[in-house]
Amino acid sequence: MDLSYEVKDSYAEITAAGRLNMVSAPKLREMVAEVVASGSARIVINLEATGFMDSSGLGALIGCLKAARQAGGDLRIAAVQPQVQMVLGLTSMDKVLTSYPSAAEAFGDD
Amino acid sequence: MTDILARRTLRQTALPEAIEAVHTELDKLWDDASFVPDLDRMTFATAVIEAASNVVQHAVPESTKPVELGVDISATSVRLEARVSAFNAVCPDPIDTDAAMPDGEAESGRGLALIRALVTTVTFKRQDGTNTWILSKSPLRD
Repeated sequence: MDLSYEVKDSYAEITAAGRLNMVSAPKLREMVAEVVASGSARIVINLEATGFMDSSGLGALIGCLKAARQAGGDLRIAAVQPQVQMVLGLTSMDKVLTSYPSAAEAFGDD
Repeated sequence: MTDILARRTLRQTALPEAIEAVHTELDKLWDDASFVPDLDRMTFATAVIEAASNVVQHAVPESTKPVELGVDISATSVRLEARVSAFNAVCPDPIDTDAAMPDGEAESGRGLALIRALVTTVTFKRQDGTNTWILSKSPLRD
């Protein structure tokens, strides 16, 4: 999985491309910790190019959500693809992780 | 009607990199079994990766030999089956196969519940120092 981030005006966008599994999940946690430590606690993870996520990846997203909220911010996900949506739905985590059509819309309302 | 039309196998040391190899074998299976509907591919592949990740993360070696991950995936016209094995591993503690999906903000513990939600049957057997989880999905949907 390729991970990168960009700090925008009111949020930071992390782009995750590839498979979010037990190999890449720790790397995502590290990147979110780095972004939060740099002062950006409003984070959107762009999942447009994430074709696969397992329960390890889901656990990382939940951990990252907690980290962002503990720092006074929030973590949202965007451009969710069918397999990731299926995992979110089967685990009822679609109620916990708010999903938006695009990264730009994730923090567009506040 | 129940002949195996496509089959792939893998056996290697149970390290995280092995998971990428399992993804590759699943892709090759779909190349050889193009009749399998997309939704069935997605659910089956997710379950197989969960089971293989479980071996890599939790299997405990029985001796000085490292645990090896084995994956045997096959497709008939009506059924997908995966045998996911941990070779040279101790027998795991009894598993609560009815384990419910954890709620809320738990960061782990969803793997088995997810597997059960994705496939038709999940069975476990222990033989000759090998733990094998057998997952099946049938019938395939058009």
